[in-house]
Amino acid sequence: MSNIAQQRIQREFREVVKSDEVAKSGIELALAHDDLTELVGTIKGPPDTPYEGGTYQLEIRIPDTYPFNPPKVRFVTKIWHPNISSVTGAICLDILKDQWAAAMTLRTVLLSLQALLAAPEPDDPQDAVVARQFSADYKTFFKTAQHWASVFAGAPHEHPDFDRLLTKLKDMGVDESSARVALSSCGWDIHRATEQLFN
Amino acid sequence: MSSESPPPAASGDNQDELILAQKEAIAQDIASNASLVGNLEPVYSLEREFSHDAVFMTKIGNLKGRYAELRRTRPDGNCFFRAVAYRYFELLLHRPDEYERIKALLPRAKAQMIELGMPTFTLEDFYDNFMDHVDRVGQAHMDAQQLFETFNEPGQSDYLVVFLRLLTSMQLQRNAEFYQNFMEGDKTVAEFCATEVEPMYNESDHIHITALTEATGISLRVIYLDRGSQTEASLHDFPDQGESAATTPLVHLLYRPGHYDVIYPVKSTSESGPATSNATVTTTAELSS
Repeated sequence: MSNIAQQRIQREFREVVKSDEVAKSGIELALAHDDLTELVGTIKGPPDTPYEGGTYQLEIRIPDTYPFNPPKVRFVTKIWHPNISSVTGAICLDILKDQWAAAMTLRTVLLSLQALLAAPEPDDPQDAVVARQFSADYKTFFKTAQHWASVFAGAPHEHPDFDRLLTKLKDMGVDESSARVALSSCGWDIHRATEQLFN
Repeated sequence: MSSESPPPAASGDNQDELILAQKEAIAQDIASNASLVGNLEPVYSLEREFSHDAVFMTKIGNLKGRYAELRRTRPDGNCFFRAVAYRYFELLLHRPDEYERIKALLPRAKAQMIELGMPTFTLEDFYDNFMDHVDRVGQAHMDAQQLFETFNEPGQSDYLVVFLRLLTSMQLQRNAEFYQNFMEGDKTVAEFCATEVEPMYNESDHIHITALTEATGISLRVIYLDRGSQTEASLHDFPDQGESAATTPLVHLLYRPGHYDVIYPVKSTSESGPATSNATVTTTAELSS
């Protein structure tokens, strides 16, 4: 890791850890190792969104050319969101790509990701399936995102109707994770989900 | 977006990563083939590249009378800013008047940047670093060779570029009403700065040059070596002095489509940095004087 990247990260780390304002907005930053090349970010799901009550972990890798190039960030906690891959956690956000500027910081990134949770951009999707659902059937999207938030991010929602459908598929020998993906992708239509799983 | 709209293209999660990886590979390839800032070369070295092109050859031929040397910069999208910064710092080695002027100007610029809401946490850092180099060069704590080495050290070199990008952004945003006239579509000046000015590796256009020269008061001449049919390369001065060009600009850049290099007028080579084996005898003699 270059000296410049290292010094910057050290300063930024202190900035995020110390700031009260940052703590209030529900973002955190921790070291993954001693060498500052990998960090763990945490953001709280913003209020009035399906992610409310959830806590999301992010993997942050610092390139050698930081801060001239953006950090590489990915959701570790699974999430149902148009701009985040439900499979890999890859994120579609302009400032993590061509609109990154060296004057931005990890704090900027974490706050921007929180803002992205509050305001998805379905026209610039990372996960096409989720984006289509978001635009075509917002109610189902909202409930599905809530469901994922409770299963993976510790949000306190219960969806007994979804649980029943999951149990049905599990009884047919499908593992829970595949069942959830299939049902979520098919708007919780068990016939379509079964077709998708067995064809 | 209505429910009838077509499904978004390419659901592949790896798409972005592939593009990013390819960009990195291209950048690495360019980096291994070109220094951030090159050694001095005689202007006629351009002839080797354009020997099959009559229009360029005529223009280069006419350039030789006015310009002696050329210093290439890496074509990484930062070339304009890096070229201006390098040449300007080189001038500061010999120009106490410029040193005093820029030293008085930069703190005001910084205050204006903060006023605009630029993040102080990082801005201070880029400002301090830039100012530190201005001082070192202006107070002769750094010589031409050290300057050359500094500009070829990627992190340090890019740190200086970032500050010029921020200065340019500040100038555009402070005069947003005027610059709005040059925006394409319904893009705002602030959006333009966020996408085309502040991010590294974005190429510079007329508007960047205008704003940077305005913000810094550094006068600049760009010689355009393009495919236009005239026999002389056309030139443009920033700020525009019209027909009555009273003073010769401080910094001279050579533009070829998509790229800027530093170019040295015949008379001012005595201020140039480390010479190469290619450099003319005159230059070497002047440097050692």
